[in-house]
Amino acid sequence: MERYWNKEIECASREEMKKLQSERLVAQVRYVYDNVKYYRDLMDAKGVKPGDIRGLEDLCKLPFLSKADLREGYPYGLLARPLNECVRIHSTSGTTGRRVVAFYTQHDVDMWEDCCARAITAAGGTPDDVCQVAYGYGLFTGGAGLHGGSHKVGCLTLPMSSGNTERQIQFMRDLGATILCCTPSYAAYLGESLHEMGLTPADIKLKAGIFGAEPWTEEMRRSIEKSLGIKAYDIYGLTETSGPGVAFECSAQKGMHINEDNFIPEIINPETGEPLPDGEVGELVFTSITKEAFPLLRYRTRDLCVLSREKCSCGRTLVKMSKPKGRSDDMLIIRGVNVFPSQIETVLIANGYSPNYLIEVDRVNNTDTLDISVEMKPDQFSDKVRDMQLQEKSLASAMKTMLGINPKMHLVAPKSITRSEGKAVRVIDRRKLHD
Amino acid sequence: MSKNVRQISVFLENRPRTLAEALKLVKGFGVNIRALSLADTKDFGILRIIVNDTDKTVDGLKAAGYAVTVTEVVAITTPDAPGQLSRVLDILGAKDVNIEYLYAFNGKSDRSVSFVIRVDDVENASSALSEQGVIQLTENDVATM
Repeated sequence: MERYWNKEIECASREEMKKLQSERLVAQVRYVYDNVKYYRDLMDAKGVKPGDIRGLEDLCKLPFLSKADLREGYPYGLLARPLNECVRIHSTSGTTGRRVVAFYTQHDVDMWEDCCARAITAAGGTPDDVCQVAYGYGLFTGGAGLHGGSHKVGCLTLPMSSGNTERQIQFMRDLGATILCCTPSYAAYLGESLHEMGLTPADIKLKAGIFGAEPWTEEMRRSIEKSLGIKAYDIYGLTETSGPGVAFECSAQKGMHINEDNFIPEIINPETGEPLPDGEVGELVFTSITKEAFPLLRYRTRDLCVLSREKCSCGRTLVKMSKPKGRSDDMLIIRGVNVFPSQIETVLIANGYSPNYLIEVDRVNNTDTLDISVEMKPDQFSDKVRDMQLQEKSLASAMKTMLGINPKMHLVAPKSITRSEGKAVRVIDRRKLHD
Repeated sequence: MSKNVRQISVFLENRPRTLAEALKLVKGFGVNIRALSLADTKDFGILRIIVNDTDKTVDGLKAAGYAVTVTEVVAITTPDAPGQLSRVLDILGAKDVNIEYLYAFNGKSDRSVSFVIRVDDVENASSALSEQGVIQLTENDVATM
C-alpha cells in the first residue's frame, strides 16, 4: 500500500493546488519586492509591480533569475530576512564558477526537511527503518537534507557522510540499514565493493535507495538495483531552491513528483524564454512560494526535462518531472553536435560495460575530439589484441548510432578510473584550456 | 595436468611502470616466469606469461585487481636449425589451423629452441603436431625446464 507523508497535499485536487499556489505566489511576490532590493530592481526594470501578480496565471510576467544573478548578489544580495533570523547556510560546490550561498530560517529548514520526509516515505520509509545517509555532510545539501527528513519520518538515522567505504558496508550489515541515501555513483561503488568483499544482497537488509545530486540513467538504476538488491528512487533538488527534495520519485519510478505546494515549476524554451506546454522538453524554472530567507522567483535551473500531469499509479497528484536529460551546461557541443554524458552512459551500460567511465573532449588541428575511456569487466578481457580492438570498435559504432559522431573508445583496466564518493567527475573538456 | 600449456594474459595500460608493477607483483609470489611476450597497441599492452605456478599467479593477480585471462596454448621444442619453424607452420597450415600469435622462449639446451603457439583450435593443432613427430611440451615440462 502506498504511504504518504502529507496525503492532503500530495493527493490534492488540481483546483485545490492551484488555489493554494496562487495565494502563496501573490504573498511571496509582495514579500520579495518589499524585502529584496535586487528583485525590486529587476521587477521595476521590467515594469512589473507586485499588484500585477494576482494569481498563478500572472507568473509569466515576472523576470527570470539566473545563476549569474545569484553570483552577482553573493553573499547577501538576495537575502530577504535579517541575518539574526537565519539559522543555517549551505553552498554549491562552486565547480562551475563562484559559489552560491543559500540562507535558511528555521521555517525554511522545516519546509525542506518536510520535502525530504515525503521522499523517504514514498520510498517506503517508516519509523521501523534504519536510514543510512552517505551523502556528504557539510556545506553540501545532500547530507543535511536527507538527515533531517529521516529524523522527521522517525527512522533510525546513520549519519555516515560519504567515504570510508568499508565502514559503510560494516555499518550497513551490523546495524541492518534498510534505506541508503547517497549519490548514484557512490551507490554503484558501494555495490561493487560489497561484491568484492565476497558479500551479496542477501547479506544486507537494504530495501530502498534514494539517490540524487548528479545525473544518472535508467540503465544505471537497474545496475544499482541488481548489485544492492534494492529498489532505487531518484530525488531532485538544487542548493539554490533548498536542496534535495524539491521533487522525488514514487513506487511507479516514472518521473519525480514536484512538491508544488512549495515550488511552482515551469518549462521554458531556453533560447527565447517562452513558457512551453506540459509534455514538451525545455528548461526547468522554479518559483519558491513558501521560503523566507532565500526566496527565488522564476529561477532558471538549466536542467532540461519534461513535465507531466498524467495520472500516477501511486495516487499522488503532484506534477511529475522527467529525469533531467542533462543540465544545459553539462551538454557538450562536439563538432557541432549536442552530446549529453547521460547518452554515453546509456550506451555503455546497455552494452554490458561498467558505469565507470571518463569522457575527454579536446581540440586537435581545429577539430573536436571525443575520447571515452571505460573500465572493462574481467570477463571482457581477451589475450588477443584483435578481440580487444573489435570490442572497442563495436562500442564506438554503438556510440556513433546514439550520438551521431564517432568517438575514440579506450578500454582501460578495472579500477583504474578514480571512484567518486560524492559527485562523480565524468567529463574533462580540455578545449576550454586553449581558449 | 593437462597436456596443453596454460598461458596467463594480463591487461596493462600502455604507460611507464605498468609492466614493472605487474612483474614486481609476480616476483612477490615467488613465481618464476618461464616464457613471456608482450603485445602492444597505442593504448594498452597484453602481457602473456607461462609460469611455474599458474594457479598461484592467477589468484594473486586477480586479487590485486588485474584483468587476467587463462588460455590453452601449444608449446613445442625443435632443433635449432634452419627450416624447423617453417616445417611446423606447414603442418598446421595443412590442417587449416589458424595462428593468432607465437613467440620463442629458452629451450632445453643450446641446440634446441622452444615456441609458444596460440592457435584457434588447440586439439586439432596438437594432434597434427603429434602425428608428424614434433615434440610438444606439457605445462610441467615448461615449468621445470
